[in-house]
Amino acid sequence: MTVLMEIKDLKVHYPIRSGFWNRITDYVYAADGISFTIEAGKTYGLVGESGSGKSTIGKAIVGLEKITGGEIIYNGEDVSKPSVRNKMKYNKDVQMIFQDSLSSLNPKKTIYQIIAEPIRNFDKMDKESEKQRVIELLDIVGLSKNAMYQYPHQFSGGQRQRIGIARAIATNPKLIIADEPVSALDLSIQAQVLNFMKRIQKELGISFLFISHDLGVVRHMTENIAIMHLGRFVELGTREDIYNNPQHIYTKRLLSAIPQIDIANREANKAKRAQVEAEYQEKRSHFYDKDGLAYPMHQISDTHWVSTPPTQNSEGTGK
Amino acid sequence: MSEQNETQVQPSLQATVPEIKDGAVIVEAPSTWRTIKREFLKDKVALVSAVILAVLFLTVIIWSFFIPKTAVTNVNIIDQYLAPGTQGHILGTDEQGRDQLLMLVASAKNSLLIAFMITVIGQVVGIIIGLITGYFRGVVDTVIMRIIDFWIVLPFIMIIIVLVSIVPKYNEWTLIWIIGLFAWQGTTRLIRSKVLSESDRDYVRASKTSGSSNFMIMFREILPNLASIIIVDSTLTFAGNIGIETTLSFLGFGLPNGTPSLGTMVSAATDPTVLATKAYVWLPPVIFIIVICVGISFVGQVFRRAADARQRLG
Repeated sequence: MTVLMEIKDLKVHYPIRSGFWNRITDYVYAADGISFTIEAGKTYGLVGESGSGKSTIGKAIVGLEKITGGEIIYNGEDVSKPSVRNKMKYNKDVQMIFQDSLSSLNPKKTIYQIIAEPIRNFDKMDKESEKQRVIELLDIVGLSKNAMYQYPHQFSGGQRQRIGIARAIATNPKLIIADEPVSALDLSIQAQVLNFMKRIQKELGISFLFISHDLGVVRHMTENIAIMHLGRFVELGTREDIYNNPQHIYTKRLLSAIPQIDIANREANKAKRAQVEAEYQEKRSHFYDKDGLAYPMHQISDTHWVSTPPTQNSEGTGK
Repeated sequence: MSEQNETQVQPSLQATVPEIKDGAVIVEAPSTWRTIKREFLKDKVALVSAVILAVLFLTVIIWSFFIPKTAVTNVNIIDQYLAPGTQGHILGTDEQGRDQLLMLVASAKNSLLIAFMITVIGQVVGIIIGLITGYFRGVVDTVIMRIIDFWIVLPFIMIIIVLVSIVPKYNEWTLIWIIGLFAWQGTTRLIRSKVLSESDRDYVRASKTSGSSNFMIMFREILPNLASIIIVDSTLTFAGNIGIETTLSFLGFGLPNGTPSLGTMVSAATDPTVLATKAYVWLPPVIFIIVICVGISFVGQVFRRAADARQRLG
């Protein structure tokens, strides 16, 4: 498969200012040395707890967050500078779906104006073909063309999120960053929107970077999964690698936290969770360095990378 | 365990969810105009104020076209201080023997026009600068806000008086621009605070990723969402600007001689005998100012409540 985008040692640090002179005293390491590649037409999941920096990575890739260090290589160019992005019409190819469907649609604009905005900016079309394109997009996300002249507040949450999807695919992008696109929706609507996204992804061959804290959703949507903890990747692999062969204690802990409805084995499950938690607490100092941060990742199979302590490196890479 | 979990979760996600009919879920939010109408009906004082204001404004604007300029400039000492109702002067005459009613209409037209123009200048400048400082933040914001902080500390009445005295070719437009210099700072602060919160919303980010320029985002995306506070702010500052203009004219630094103003009419009361014995000379403009300002502030409160759902009455 062709590599669409390469992220090399991405760093996003936020300064903490304090004291009388309001000087920078420390940094929040929202993303610290993140490297991975995105292949065309594939789906990627980014999982982690709140504040682990997953949204920051998404925003940095799409160009909404200023990056502190590292490179984002797209079409052979480093797109971390706004001037480069503007010149190559970067956002025509890389779009974003936002978490809050209501606040991501301008309340004073009609659906037509909202969906036509990226078309107007990137694809110069005449009025008639622009209108045809908007109708076509609304059709793709399953809304009637009557929706064009309505306002965002007139739609339900699921419909609004589909309008957000229509806007994101308006310019035929190659990569869509979906930042927790369904976490604000209730479960039945989640399934509806997710299936829409999955169908669109397959039909249009778009790469997806799916950011979520919901492991069930990520498993349903993506082929490759990265687990993040405190601004660093702790494990990266295919869906099977992560779910069937988790190597990092944090991954195991996350997986054991998926709620299960299994009344017969309730006690056994409880004991298993307790055991995973005990293992986490016990090996914590082993898997994290003295600052409590994850070690750099090492490859343990063709597709599977894990952050292991230096002592295990020889074992891991020598396989 | 995970196999079991998968068989439970997957089918429900894969199942096709019945399509929701578009017509069934459309919820109509009450339009702004309907909200304003309802607020007026709930607040009878504001309703009465609105009617009075409409009648007064229309009368002043239409009537002022039919008042010959001589009626407000001619001096006729013989008819000085005629009591109301004598010789066809409904409200009597002033020191120069001019008809008080005609004077009142002509003055009101000048005062309202000037207050209106100052409001327009203040709002336009305030909106532009407020959008820039709230949207770009950082150094731009710090620099502009410190300039405004300094500007607000200045005793602006004093500065206006000085400027009015030193400007060589002085007419009502000069006065409008001079007062306008001090009319935009409050609006800038208000707009900035609202832009700060608006520009943090996802639709602004979505516009950025849709390739819109900063200029387009500021004026096409954010500005329409400020409409309600702009309406509220311009109504309330309009009342304030009437006050500023009349104050200056009262002190003798407002409109030039020959251009009647409510302030100059009130300043007739600086003569002790007029103040004590001839209330009909200064009372009409005073009442007019009070009615206009109080009325506008009642109507402005309605707009404010319509713009902010938490304050609504109905």
